[in-house]
Amino acid sequence: MTMVALAYGFIWLAVFAYIFVVGRRLVRLHGELDELRRRIERGKP
Amino acid sequence: MPTTPSSPARNSTRLLVACGVTCLLFLLACLAIAEAPLEKVMGMVQKIFYFHVPCAWLLMLSTLVCAGGSVAYLFRGSERGDRIALSAAELGVLFGMCVLVSGPLWAKAAWGVYWQWEARLTSSLLLWLMLVAYVLARRYGGAAARRLAASLALFAAIDIPLVYFSVRFFRSIHPQTTVVSTLVPGMRGAFWLSLLAFTVLWFVLMSVRLSVENAQARIVELEVLLDQAEENKS
Repeated sequence: MTMVALAYGFIWLAVFAYIFVVGRRLVRLHGELDELRRRIERGKP
Repeated sequence: MPTTPSSPARNSTRLLVACGVTCLLFLLACLAIAEAPLEKVMGMVQKIFYFHVPCAWLLMLSTLVCAGGSVAYLFRGSERGDRIALSAAELGVLFGMCVLVSGPLWAKAAWGVYWQWEARLTSSLLLWLMLVAYVLARRYGGAAARRLAASLALFAAIDIPLVYFSVRFFRSIHPQTTVVSTLVPGMRGAFWLSLLAFTVLWFVLMSVRLSVENAQARIVELEVLLDQAEENKS
């Protein structure tokens, strides 16, 4: 039973950790988009 | 003709529906696994099989998609192919890690040892290491490493038949590829449901990861255009 719990637990943990990492990348991407938007606003006549 | 990007609202709705379907499939798979009969010899520990095999299938699928994208990048210069390859390689590393952890846990209970240097286990480890090398080359190698990484993906794809057929051609203590067809009905249903849930999860993760990669590429493109416009202005 311990081995089954460890195997299933590890797989779930790995999948959720990956989702978390991709989520962080998305947050960083939003930051870059905001920066881009600010640059465009500054360049407007 | 330029392609019209789909609206963010529609994309979010699609993603929510996909996540809902994935959760539902996993719920059904877990219920089926709990209800599945115990294997006579191994007992409870055999239930690792329902997650271990789908992860192994996704490791191979990821490698094939990574190799396909790499071929498109190497021979046609397709940037989209390169982005698909990188996204698939990351998923290959993720599911490969799941295979290489769940397998030894099952092996410890079934064989008495965590690891045996036999053909199936060794070729799987090699495949995973090649995908890790691909991701590391892309992460730290800069633009010059893109072609090198793409070539590595082709080598990884060559390893897939070796992984799959190794149990037939070499003396191995690992279960044969025919084990699925010998499952009793209760086990078979749980297995296919779990395989379906994992495959749908792979497509959801792949679509999210690819959209991040596409957005990143678009931002870089826009930054270059903006730099040029600012230079022209001054």
